[in-house]
Amino acid sequence: MKLPAYLKRTAFWGLGISLLITLALSAWLFRAGVNELQLQQRHRIAVMHANALSLAISSTDVEETAKRVREIQKFDPGIESLIVVKGTQLVASTNAADSAPRQLKRDEKPLYDLSNLLRTARETNRGEGVVRNKTIWVEENKPGHIQVSLPYLLNGEFAGIVQMRFNLLQPAMNIRLEDSGALPILIFFGALLVGGFLKPTSERRMDPAKLMAIAAFLLSALFYQQQRLDRLEQVWVNGNRVVAANYLETAEQYDRAGYLPLVRDPASANLWDTDHYQRPLELIAADGSSTDTEYGAKAADRTSFIKPILWAIDILGIGILLLIIFGYAERMYAAFKQHIYAYVYIAPAMIGMFVLVFFPFAYGIALAFTDTTLFNESLPFQERLIGLANFKAILGDFNLYERTADGIIWNYANFYWTLFITVLWTVSNVFIGVTVGFLLAMALNTEGLRGKAIYRVLLILPWAIPNYITALVWRGMFHPQFGVINQVLQMFGLEPVKWFDGVVSSFITGVATNGWLSFPFMMVVILGALQSIPRDMYEAAEVEGANRWQRLRFITLPLLKPTLIPAIVLSVVWTFNMFNIIFLVSGGEPAGANEILVTKAYKLAFENYQYAYAAAYSTVIFIILLAYGVFQTRVSKATESF
Amino acid sequence: MADMKTNRHILLHAVLVCFTVLALYPVFWVLALSFSGQQSVGLIDLPNDPSFFERFRAILPVPAHWSVSNFTEVWTEQSFGRWLWNSVIISLMTTVLGVFLACTAAYAFSRFRFPGRDTGMLMFLVSQMFPGTLMLIPLFIIIVKQLELGNTYIGLVIVYATTAIPFCVWMLKGYFDTIPYDIEESAIIDGASRLTIFWRIILPLAKPAIAITALFSFMTAWNEFILASVFMESEANYTAPVGLRFFVGGFSSQWGYFAAGSVIVSLPVVVLFLQLQKYLISGLTAGSVK
Amino acid sequence: MGTIQRILVAAVLFAGMTIGKAQATELVLWHAYRGAEKATIEKVAKLYESKMAGKAKVTTLAIPYDAYADKISASIPRGKGPDVFIYAQDRLGGWVESGKTVEPIGFYMDDATHKQFLPGMLDAMTYKGTIYGLPLNYKSITLIYNKALVKTPPKNTTELVKIAKALTDANSGRYGLAYWYTNFYFHAALMNAFGGRVFDQDGKLVLNSPETVASIKQMMKWYKQDGIMPTEPSETLVSSMFNEGKVGMVFNGPWYIGEISPNIDYGLAVLPVVDEAGKKPMRPWLTIEGAYVSASSKQKEAAYDFVAFLASEEAGLLLSLEGRQLHTNAAIYNDKRVASDRILKAFHDQLSSAEPMPNRAEMTMVWSPVTTAMNKVVKGNSTPEAALREAAAAVQESITALHKGR
Repeated sequence: MKLPAYLKRTAFWGLGISLLITLALSAWLFRAGVNELQLQQRHRIAVMHANALSLAISSTDVEETAKRVREIQKFDPGIESLIVVKGTQLVASTNAADSAPRQLKRDEKPLYDLSNLLRTARETNRGEGVVRNKTIWVEENKPGHIQVSLPYLLNGEFAGIVQMRFNLLQPAMNIRLEDSGALPILIFFGALLVGGFLKPTSERRMDPAKLMAIAAFLLSALFYQQQRLDRLEQVWVNGNRVVAANYLETAEQYDRAGYLPLVRDPASANLWDTDHYQRPLELIAADGSSTDTEYGAKAADRTSFIKPILWAIDILGIGILLLIIFGYAERMYAAFKQHIYAYVYIAPAMIGMFVLVFFPFAYGIALAFTDTTLFNESLPFQERLIGLANFKAILGDFNLYERTADGIIWNYANFYWTLFITVLWTVSNVFIGVTVGFLLAMALNTEGLRGKAIYRVLLILPWAIPNYITALVWRGMFHPQFGVINQVLQMFGLEPVKWFDGVVSSFITGVATNGWLSFPFMMVVILGALQSIPRDMYEAAEVEGANRWQRLRFITLPLLKPTLIPAIVLSVVWTFNMFNIIFLVSGGEPAGANEILVTKAYKLAFENYQYAYAAAYSTVIFIILLAYGVFQTRVSKATESF
Repeated sequence: MADMKTNRHILLHAVLVCFTVLALYPVFWVLALSFSGQQSVGLIDLPNDPSFFERFRAILPVPAHWSVSNFTEVWTEQSFGRWLWNSVIISLMTTVLGVFLACTAAYAFSRFRFPGRDTGMLMFLVSQMFPGTLMLIPLFIIIVKQLELGNTYIGLVIVYATTAIPFCVWMLKGYFDTIPYDIEESAIIDGASRLTIFWRIILPLAKPAIAITALFSFMTAWNEFILASVFMESEANYTAPVGLRFFVGGFSSQWGYFAAGSVIVSLPVVVLFLQLQKYLISGLTAGSVK
Repeated sequence: MGTIQRILVAAVLFAGMTIGKAQATELVLWHAYRGAEKATIEKVAKLYESKMAGKAKVTTLAIPYDAYADKISASIPRGKGPDVFIYAQDRLGGWVESGKTVEPIGFYMDDATHKQFLPGMLDAMTYKGTIYGLPLNYKSITLIYNKALVKTPPKNTTELVKIAKALTDANSGRYGLAYWYTNFYFHAALMNAFGGRVFDQDGKLVLNSPETVASIKQMMKWYKQDGIMPTEPSETLVSSMFNEGKVGMVFNGPWYIGEISPNIDYGLAVLPVVDEAGKKPMRPWLTIEGAYVSASSKQKEAAYDFVAFLASEEAGLLLSLEGRQLHTNAAIYNDKRVASDRILKAFHDQLSSAEPMPNRAEMTMVWSPVTTAMNKVVKGNSTPEAALREAAAAVQESITALHKGR
């Protein structure tokens, strides 16, 4: 097939594909943004009307409440239905069939529960001095039909709840701006045209054509995104005008009815236009006035969450562009086709890994960027996002020790102390495990040794018995008065040691237990690895007069490497995250000095309920281990046999 | 010459016996507790100012009274036999699935040079790096909510196998690397397919490593308790470690039952290891390298 | 949270479905029992089925305690899990705060149900004014003594120390008194005697109070000055010592009774009056297990009816006599068989001076810092004042992190 020359150029395809993806993702993002804004706007208006209602019926008696409810529905046609609930009483309802006032029926329990929930939320916010529980519940199960529930008061105290169904399908509320899809298409084809003229080389070095392509990409993408951002802000500003107009109209009606006087003071706060915690949004004043410029600034603030996502999209786009114009994509495709059999071998294991490991990872890492705790985990994800604050708090805390008159006091709660202990813990455990395992394996690999099978079986018992009980036995052995170890010390006339009182001795208890638990594994691994060393190599070496040490040094160790190194790398990772032993034996005693990072993360999550902070801890652990893993594979790559 | 060798072995035996006794000392305590018929570890009973031998006698892990009541209680109070059977099935399925998937992947990593190979290896390692404490909820979402595999063997087997695979892949890859490539080359020249080579030559040579990874996979599934208790929705589907944990935790702990149960639970591992042992001494012999 | 119309439609549909099928409602109950408790709860479930004459079917599932809370937190908020579950009050606050776990049931409760419980029991199931479960049984520590060593149990701490000193011989590992005194749960009895608290009425942390300091000093007096308690206590140590007759008196709860060796003739008595605290009795914390309706249940009314049955006198008698639980239904203590049971009676007596452990979520943050503080004091690394001040600061920090404003 004969293609025109420009179609063969990577710049053409690179710009085409990367821009298509970038523009499509941006367009989708902004569409979602506009929808979100509209949703917020709708809810804001509904909340405004609900707040007005609740204020209008506060401190009224049952009859007056019922009367006002009926009147308000008449002059506020957006209200589809509304009910007032106080304790187990249905106080008023706009639906005559409800025959209010009456007791709630058994199947109306959700209303009673909601009332309690909002009362508690209000009390909690006041009692703790921080606002953390929503006192307004907004639901939109059918588009445009919004249900708002919120408390109403009696002499300043919680009385009950108002539940309002509000219809917001009137055309006047539409804040969407008319848009034609021409702009992105124009930009796309413009860029394609540029791409057609550029002739980048397929080599892996920068040339002017590649620079031009990158510039064209950035220009097109950023231009489009800026235009969309402006547009989004415009939608905000328009929305606010709609809300302000709606506010004024409604407020005048309440004023006329004599339920709530309209405050004509631009300086006083608007109590209707609130967030879901009933705090004034301060976007419209009590007299309905608002300044677009001020509001515009706030709009930019509100849309700021979009910017990081835009950055991510742009980076993705540039990445694709670079892959294509530098020829990586082509080479990757060729390699994939060539090595397809290798990928088939790996695919089953990889797929399982991806589903079951990388989703939980993504979950955990995403959690680390929020402020999720037990108390707010039911809030939507984007409300919990806080960026890097958790990492700053963990890594930026250098309060490692205090200087006092008695000398230096270490702060055991500090991350770096725990990291130090963790590294020490890992190194000593792996060292013990590997050394003991190696010596035993060598011993059990002695030719002609009788009873090997018995030794082997007996020596894997520490691994075979559930460590929950052996850890308890070890803990018991370290008891200062009744423990076996101190008895043995005393047998030989030594002083008993209070094992869990000192930082070092307590550390030893953990290492002893874990070393005991992990040597059988290492022994078995090394035993297996020793089988891969052909006997004739030793024979040849012996013939040439190599002594034992030389045979060990130049035959055994190098040939063990390929299997020993994976085992060591993995035990480093496992020991780093070895939760049970610390938890069961020393419990981090004394005073948390012997905690390791993973027990710390566990405590944060399950004792302090700071899920996000714990996730950030886990992510830090992950990054440390990842760095180790990359480093180790680099180093050990040299040892690959061919 | 022969005498010297025996002598050396006597010394080696002495060292090994000493070490084995020391290593098994905590295990003896578990045994003593399980056969004591009691629920708490016996305390050291010493007179005032005890002598060396009195102390020595006190630290011997021997129960005051021998009784098998802990064993009979554990076996009869709950459907422990059924749970042990579940454990055996789940662990064996895990072993087969894990070792099979790991063998193919490890073979590719060892024998083929392809883009993404290093990254792929690292990926397997990476999967072990995130602390497990926060994995429970996402795993629940995938296995129970999305795949609806709660209360099934297969749900647990999938999770356990993926947990075990990284080690198996790394271990096997390392072992495959030590098998000289010449063996395969000559087979290729003889016209054997990749699959035949893998099946007929590589796997038999890698028996020791496969035995180890099998043991490891089995152990991964064998002792796990938290996922098994969270995923299973009927008592009939519990595994043995779940059953064991009923005896401890909360207010009261029946350590005697737990010890007896632990002894029972470790027996199948010993049996499995006895079976796998013979592969630990085969592998490369002088003849196969030729 | 639908409006009335929607609820009515749903109710009509539901009624239609039930008439159409006339099938038994299937209820799932989760608990963490084994042994006699498990057997009895299963028996109670069967009893309920027979009472409902085929209209209800109850399936029970026992879950090991160590996995139980995780299983609940993983399942119920995701729409899985049981209809009813039994758990102590300590997690209640957390579940309410995180939402979607426990269903409020105050709406279903009638007056008789409100009044049927022993005093204080329903408070443990109440969080911020809303009732979330019906209490089933309570546990607290009390004084358990070896009759061979202690003839009459001490009424007050002066007697206690006198008796204990006579029994103590540290060199041969014999002591007068043993309890897990470094564990805050056990220490709370002493703290409450002095009037110390963890949280005040409004939920503010008041851990670092002179009363609590005084209670730790009292504990230290027993340990150091009087020397009547062993070092590094733990559940297993206390248990082993008592079973081997190496200690005269222990403070322990009903869970411990089954572990006492048959060779030991033991007696039970109310915890002594603390002379040093102005002759106030030791007031241990009550752990109260309740039955909750799960928020994910599809049949909450039927679930509540079952919960109410579990809390009834009929179920209560079974659970007490056969399950060896201390049921919360006040009526059962008038029953002859219960009144003549010395163990049930002894713990019921202790109830007159005992109080529910706080059910606030913040409580879980208290254990570990306070344990650290008590260990520091016991090991002589810190004074009660300083250790408690540090612990309170640490707990307050965790609480502040949790109470973050939006």
